[in-house]
Amino acid sequence: MDPRTIVAFAAKELRDARRNRWFLLYTAALAALSLGISALAVSAQGAFGLAGFGRTTASLVNLVMLVVPLMGLTLGAMSLAGERERGTLLYVLAQPVTASEVFLGKYLGLGLALLASLALGFGASGLVISWRVGGAQVAGYLGLAGLAFGLALASLGLGLLISAFARRASTAVGLSIFAWLGLVLLGDLGLMGTAMVLRVDVGALFGLALLNPLQVFKISAIAGSHGTLEVLGPAGVFAFRTFGAALLPMLVAVLVAWVLVPLGAGLGVFRWRGAL
Amino acid sequence: MRPRDALLLLALLAPAARAGDTWTVGPGDDLARALEAAEDGDTVVVDGGVHAPVVVTRRLALEGRGWPVIDGGGRGTVVKLAAAGASLRGFVVRGSGSSLDDENSGITVAAPDVRVEGNRVEEALFGVSLAHARGSVVADNVITGKALDVARRGDAIRVWYSDDVRLERNVVTRGRDVVLWYSAHLTVADNEVTDGRYGLHFMYTDDADIQRNRLVGNSVGVYLMYSRRLRMSHNAVVGNRGPSGFGLGLKDMDECDVTDNVFADNRVGAYVDNSPREAQSFLIFRRNLFAGNDTGVALLPSVRKNTYSENAFVDNGEHVGVLGGGTLGANAWSDGGRGNFWSDYAGYDRDGDGVGDVPYRSERLFEHLAQRHPELKLFVYTPAANAVELAARAVPLVRPQPKLLDDAPLVAPVVPAGVPRGAATAGAPLVLSSAGLVALAALVIFGVSHRGPPACSGGTPAGPGAILRRRGRTAGTPVAVSSDVVNLEAVTKRFGQALALDGLTLTVRQGEALAFWGANGAGKTTALRCLLGVIPFQGRVTLAGHDVRRAGKAARRLVGFVPQELTFHDDLTVRESLAFYARLKRVPAGDDALLARLGLAEHAHKAVRELSGGLKQRLAVALALLGDPPLLVLDEPTANLDAPARASLVALLAELKAAGKTLVFTSHRLEEVLALADRVVLLEGGRLAADVPPRDLGERLRAHATLHLLLPPLAVERAEAVLVDAGLLPTRTGAGLSVEVDPAEKGRPIALLVNAGVPLADFEVARTGAAAGRS
Repeated sequence: MDPRTIVAFAAKELRDARRNRWFLLYTAALAALSLGISALAVSAQGAFGLAGFGRTTASLVNLVMLVVPLMGLTLGAMSLAGERERGTLLYVLAQPVTASEVFLGKYLGLGLALLASLALGFGASGLVISWRVGGAQVAGYLGLAGLAFGLALASLGLGLLISAFARRASTAVGLSIFAWLGLVLLGDLGLMGTAMVLRVDVGALFGLALLNPLQVFKISAIAGSHGTLEVLGPAGVFAFRTFGAALLPMLVAVLVAWVLVPLGAGLGVFRWRGAL
Repeated sequence: MRPRDALLLLALLAPAARAGDTWTVGPGDDLARALEAAEDGDTVVVDGGVHAPVVVTRRLALEGRGWPVIDGGGRGTVVKLAAAGASLRGFVVRGSGSSLDDENSGITVAAPDVRVEGNRVEEALFGVSLAHARGSVVADNVITGKALDVARRGDAIRVWYSDDVRLERNVVTRGRDVVLWYSAHLTVADNEVTDGRYGLHFMYTDDADIQRNRLVGNSVGVYLMYSRRLRMSHNAVVGNRGPSGFGLGLKDMDECDVTDNVFADNRVGAYVDNSPREAQSFLIFRRNLFAGNDTGVALLPSVRKNTYSENAFVDNGEHVGVLGGGTLGANAWSDGGRGNFWSDYAGYDRDGDGVGDVPYRSERLFEHLAQRHPELKLFVYTPAANAVELAARAVPLVRPQPKLLDDAPLVAPVVPAGVPRGAATAGAPLVLSSAGLVALAALVIFGVSHRGPPACSGGTPAGPGAILRRRGRTAGTPVAVSSDVVNLEAVTKRFGQALALDGLTLTVRQGEALAFWGANGAGKTTALRCLLGVIPFQGRVTLAGHDVRRAGKAARRLVGFVPQELTFHDDLTVRESLAFYARLKRVPAGDDALLARLGLAEHAHKAVRELSGGLKQRLAVALALLGDPPLLVLDEPTANLDAPARASLVALLAELKAAGKTLVFTSHRLEEVLALADRVVLLEGGRLAADVPPRDLGERLRAHATLHLLLPPLAVERAEAVLVDAGLLPTRTGAGLSVEVDPAEKGRPIALLVNAGVPLADFEVARTGAAAGRS
């Protein structure tokens, strides 16, 4: 594998992202919503000189859970399947490049595009907060941004995995939206129902929650900003007492696994599937 | 003054000293001896220096200048003020012992009317301890505890059995508690307490005023227990998030008034347990801000006679919680027609009186579920939890019983005035970090762009001229080329059940031109794709010895490919396309001579999407020639070209062949095959039917003519239907239809279309055994 080829594809992907109206729309929406959340939280609390990070963080966590997986999944899904449908993928693979270089180049480029999008949202939002209430918990804020980026990469990997399978962009996008619904709503609702009906043990419930990268992100964000998981009730207390200081590193490791496993699976599928 | 002089002075003055005199103690003087010498009412001025622990047993005023230090050396209590009316001002008191049992303190006050003002108490287990010290004042001190776990620390300030004490403007950090027990009529004002366990802890202490304090980052902000008539106003209670994490806790409290405070970012803003405890008592919360707490106010279900009015509940995870479940109907949520502001209130105020026209009901389904099934709290802050709330709003049937009902909700928050703000937190790190993030975004989006190809040492300028000069060389590649450039061994490809290639085996030697010939679906394009290794297949393909699957990159480095479908990145310009693919091939991006030769020079800055089909085909050839590869693979290279362009391209390919290139191509045009090919491979149903010289092709084919019909796009479908109805088998091309007919009947399709009224732009006839010509 030649890193220079990967960088060439990444640069092309970044350039495409700049012209992709979906990416621009997502970026604008994320920036506007995070700005709105910060401004609202700040106007409610900032008048008293309070760093409104507590609830602002919660709102940002909620926003990230809604928007970022949608961005990662759909952009990833459109990527390979779109090129496959247009036929450009076949032409590109006919060049002296490997499928892995194409896949990783696209991943890198889209990952950087998502990084830019998140950096813009968090940066603008942070400027609003610092303007109104001064600085506070900078490390926590940057940590949240970092976790959001991890979630974006995990979603992107899942999107590319879907894209590696699909023949048409429309199929891939449909599947990715279904996956998004599953991650954002259906999975959690199902788990909530299961917990209520079957009285799932809190340890098992916590473990099951980690099967959803959005929950991993959320729990990591709370553990990072609060120091404990008491706000998450018995399951959170169980996790905190079981893992103690290792909790946050463990959660981050699970998030990293959520980044790497779909990436590896997508790469494998793409290499097997080829250009058609 | 030297020590000897000081002692002499003391010896001389002491017998004659009278009340009201001032004693001065220098840095090296013995403070204890001075205190022994002084009498009630005297002032002892200590001018710097480090002094041993002292006990003040007379009504003296000790005043430090230049921050004299009284150092306990880590043992016992440092300063004990045991005389009524004594005072200590301007000292650094540090280094007490660490015994909790002996209550080792920085300063102990054991007499009434003592004043401890403007001192710095450092590294003390207990900071300032008052017992039986009625009327004393502890003001303007900075008290810092020992760096111990909170359980091993002592109280920063302790007031026991001391009525009428005033604690004012002290800054306390890293203590255990500020404890105020068994006392009455205390004033606790303008203090700041941080990083402790209980910011303020009242027990059995009636009639206290708690005003304008800042209680930040403690385990609990204020805990009021077993007391009555406490007035708490204008305090900032922020970020208290210990295990219980109450901003304010109230247990068994009566007749309390909590007004104009800010409770923000605590686990629980205010926790109420059995308060008021007496039947005729009350508890009032008015004009407080509860913002950003996990729970704004948490009450035990038995709590009654609380009145909440004009408070603002803003963005709490849960505004009001009932610990253990139940409703809060025995409490008042409005007073005098004014309720509270709720940030999730969705009502309206038509008459503009500041009070919403519909009541506020606290009836969040997810909260309700989580109270019954606490394990569901794992899902707080998730879109799923929000969806549950939305469902409850949309479907009244599943709404839980409201916890409370505020019949006069305010539509705007009432801002508590006069609450002390903390020193502005340094905003620079967040500003810098945020600006850094924005800059990073700009850099990534605008800074990193599609770059041109790198200079490639040893690279060769691409173009027919250059190629011609290197006849017989595999220019532009370091790979050694064997005489067999292409080798297919038993290549089989299935698409589902359909067999596209069936055991195809062949070789192509260096400099040879091989044409695949066959009907549509015979497997020509599939053979080329397998040759390039871009689709999975069974069998083996090598290009100059490189297996296209195991060493595909090296294999494809030898290939210039012209696809049948002209699918490039539409948004790139011609020059950008050349640069991009040159970068992939690690070769220079070509020269203008090549563009000129291909007629692309004047289109170099056009986007690919703006090019005609013919220009795209030329671009495909230009891209294929990048890096001067020894093998050209072309899939219907002239399909989209008009006759002159086609002739030009065929001439170019002939030149390239003459220059030593190996060609593998597919075509439907016999004249191209005859002009270019050395061998023709006939494919039928994916199998190799024949491998013959071009001259034998005509003999093997039944004589027929191919008629190319150029049609307006909208007429293609209709024309196809007309021809199919007449028993012909047309196939679509980029410009219309092509149909194979008996040479004697080549006018028939045209007649059919004319008779059917289908507009026909033009037509061409490709005849077997002769060059194509326009009829």
